[in-house]
Amino acid sequence: MSRAPTALDRRIALGLWLATFVVLWATERAVGFVRDESVYFAAAEQFARWWALLFHRPAAALSDPVIVQAFDFNHEHPMLMKSLYGWSHALFHQTLGWVRPAAGFRIPAFAVAALIPALLHLWGSALWGRRVGLFAALCFFVVPRHFFHAHLACFDMPVAAMWFLVVYLFWRAEEDLRFAPWTGVAFGLALATKHNAFFLPVVLTPFGVLAGWRVSGEEGRRVMVRMAETAVAFLAYVALLIVVLGRQGLVQSWQLLSPQTFGVTALVVVLAALALQLRRKDPAAFVPISPLVAMGLLGPVIFYAHWPYLWHHPVDRMAWYFDFHATHVHYAWTYFNDVLRAPPFPLPYVFVVTAMTLPVSLLLPIGVGLARTGLRNLGDLVPALGRRFGRGGATEWLLGVNALFSILLISLPDVPHFGGVKHWLPSMPFLALLAGREFDRASAGLSSALGLTARRSIGTSVALGAIVLLPALTLTIHVHPYGTSAYGELAGGIPGAASLGLQRQYWSNNVTGVLPWIDAHSRSGTRLWLHEVNGLSFRDYQRNDMLRKDVIPTGGPEDADLAAVQYHQEFREQEVLVWQAFGTWVPATGLYLDETPQVVVYRRPKP
Amino acid sequence: MHARAEGNAKASDAGVNETLHRLRTAGPALALVLVALLGLGFQLQLPRAFPSDADYRGAAEALARAKAPGDVVFLHPWWTERARLFVPADIPVVGYLGHTSDDLVAHPRIWVLANERLPRTPDADFRRNFLPDRTPAGESRQFGPLTLSAYRNGRARQVLLSAIDAFDRLEVSVEGPGAAPQPCQHAGGRVRCPFDASVEVAWHEVLYQPVRCLFVLPPSGGRTLSIRLPESPAAEALLLESGITWEHAWLPGRTDVQLTLESSTGALHLRIPGAHEGLVRGETPAVTAGPWTLKLSTASTQDRQICVRLRALGGSP
Repeated sequence: MSRAPTALDRRIALGLWLATFVVLWATERAVGFVRDESVYFAAAEQFARWWALLFHRPAAALSDPVIVQAFDFNHEHPMLMKSLYGWSHALFHQTLGWVRPAAGFRIPAFAVAALIPALLHLWGSALWGRRVGLFAALCFFVVPRHFFHAHLACFDMPVAAMWFLVVYLFWRAEEDLRFAPWTGVAFGLALATKHNAFFLPVVLTPFGVLAGWRVSGEEGRRVMVRMAETAVAFLAYVALLIVVLGRQGLVQSWQLLSPQTFGVTALVVVLAALALQLRRKDPAAFVPISPLVAMGLLGPVIFYAHWPYLWHHPVDRMAWYFDFHATHVHYAWTYFNDVLRAPPFPLPYVFVVTAMTLPVSLLLPIGVGLARTGLRNLGDLVPALGRRFGRGGATEWLLGVNALFSILLISLPDVPHFGGVKHWLPSMPFLALLAGREFDRASAGLSSALGLTARRSIGTSVALGAIVLLPALTLTIHVHPYGTSAYGELAGGIPGAASLGLQRQYWSNNVTGVLPWIDAHSRSGTRLWLHEVNGLSFRDYQRNDMLRKDVIPTGGPEDADLAAVQYHQEFREQEVLVWQAFGTWVPATGLYLDETPQVVVYRRPKP
Repeated sequence: MHARAEGNAKASDAGVNETLHRLRTAGPALALVLVALLGLGFQLQLPRAFPSDADYRGAAEALARAKAPGDVVFLHPWWTERARLFVPADIPVVGYLGHTSDDLVAHPRIWVLANERLPRTPDADFRRNFLPDRTPAGESRQFGPLTLSAYRNGRARQVLLSAIDAFDRLEVSVEGPGAAPQPCQHAGGRVRCPFDASVEVAWHEVLYQPVRCLFVLPPSGGRTLSIRLPESPAAEALLLESGITWEHAWLPGRTDVQLTLESSTGALHLRIPGAHEGLVRGETPAVTAGPWTLKLSTASTQDRQICVRLRALGGSP
């Protein structure tokens, strides 16, 4: 079966992309600015100014001091999305004046997030049929937390889209050599989106190598063995450096002319030479390896080239970047009435939170789909399971591994666990695809049981799909724009999750629920403390006309007239400090989602 | 005849098998529909669990009419704090994670404002920790999904004196090894001491519980802060509760805090361990009228921000 989508499916995918983009744009205005997003807004503006300088005074712009001035801010994340946000803001808001500032930044985020439903359809329809593709696309998008994150000018949804794009192109390239360079380009863009992408080679290399090995002849296998020997030699070299220099020393002593640079260069040169040799001696074996070669060659080049901050000091700034994420701080997170603050974190956390936040009508096909894929993949290894459930094969292994990889990675007890589902979003499109297959089986079974004609079968599938997606859709509509508070039926909804002691919300954006009241009850010069809302977000609410411009931010309740406290279990002290400062425990108003306090507003009593 | 019956039976068996086969084939779709309908049903009925403003106002008016000194409103589940918007401002509202274990010693009557229609309401915790020693006092009243019930609090005691109420009379000093005590000064609402120590009355959080307490920053250098109340009434017991506020409590590598309460019955020793969250409690036997002195020290003051509640208790009210 060809892996290429039909012309109709390409058009459907384009339609899904467009529809998703429009829906996200149309529903964007109500979504508050999460803490990180305002930082990215500011960074994007700063970078856009540097790009303008590059066109007007290139020599000055390219000097390291000017680059550092422009790019040092928020250099813990690469530049691709921030550049797009900055250019979009400069074009759509500053130049054309078509949209408010926030929408100007967010438009590229909508465009990238909209790739997921489109790609889901392309892949699902090619694998198992149109019904799978369509259901998978909608299934992913109507999950409340996915819908919420798709609005943000952040990196979590973009990297999920990029991850999915890379794996999809890799899968296409395994069959069609023309897709190999595109896989490499996509990998470079993924690296330029967020650091999760550095794990992609870990996930994809075994698939490319095994597929190549399977089709290779004697000559090809000899070359591949030499490639493996090169990789092992490199690992041994790294191990030796660690023994001599220590882990810290390995990073800190890395300079342009150093043993570390020599090792990496030697690896790239030797592997590239061997890849060319493989192509010459065994072209069939080269095809499945080719996307890995492209990733290895193009990925680092694109990553380096897209980020001016690396241009003058690539090694030490990369080292800092890796070190920052390898030693990321742990933020408090509430899980069954425990405030998790430091590792080790509970092993089932990611699975439990996923189950609690997904609408149950989608959790069922996702869970069954994952289980079926697991059993079919095991069927490749255990004949009895293979006879009972069928055998997986390379594609199903690829889907299964990607569906679980990010989930298992974040499940490791030492990995930071804050951030709700956003840190394992790259797993979710794959799970949606597996859910699509379950939906397809159910729909086909229903048509067969009812003995329906093809035309009626379509109608039945549409009706079944609508019924299955409806609870998720109603939940998404109900909770929008407070997506970080969303919980599914298994948790008992938002109030059930509160009783279970799960994280109420995060990222501070729910403050939008009380801004209209604050606007109406403030006067010029009112001193306002928005707990957990950073100064940049405060400014963004004002410049996007969501908060009157004549109120003054304060750093705490002591000198405030109004205080809006975000309900977090770890921040109970903050609300009590408002009682102390204002002399009252009676709120003036609040955002209570399904009864649960989210943001509580206090007004200082008049003397 | 017999053959026809057999044929009918076979046909019937075939029909049953066919039906079973169809059901099996349609099973996954039916399961999806069933779960979706359950999900949808849950979402549609959930709003019935949410009280309207009028429901809250009704409960608040009932409270305002029946309130007496010492009353408290207890929320069930603990997080239903929207009630604070409506409950009369002079009745304390208790709603924090772990509040079912709160003895509420100062409150002879507890008004439980419950919403048991909410999903996953922690009723078992309520029954296990709240209900012992509490007896219903009167009929419950319903306001939409809210139930307002009064309970007589069998764990209540007369509070004869509380250190926070006697704040202005406290004599505070810093004692160092081999040195004369250095007195502290009352300044505004605060007692300021040498060696970075201070005492004030303030609201703080101790393991999610809002506590109005003596907020103590202990003196540096391993010195001892002495807080003396020169005159206090005879009491059946002195109840000393103390804990580290907010996130300072759990931080690893922090030192213990030692507390010693000296009264007519001798000394009561308490220790707040390094990474302990929550209040530690101790109670003296009956004391005669006279002074109490609370001594407090820690080897390192880093993150040792201490909330102290000290009360003289009488019998049941």
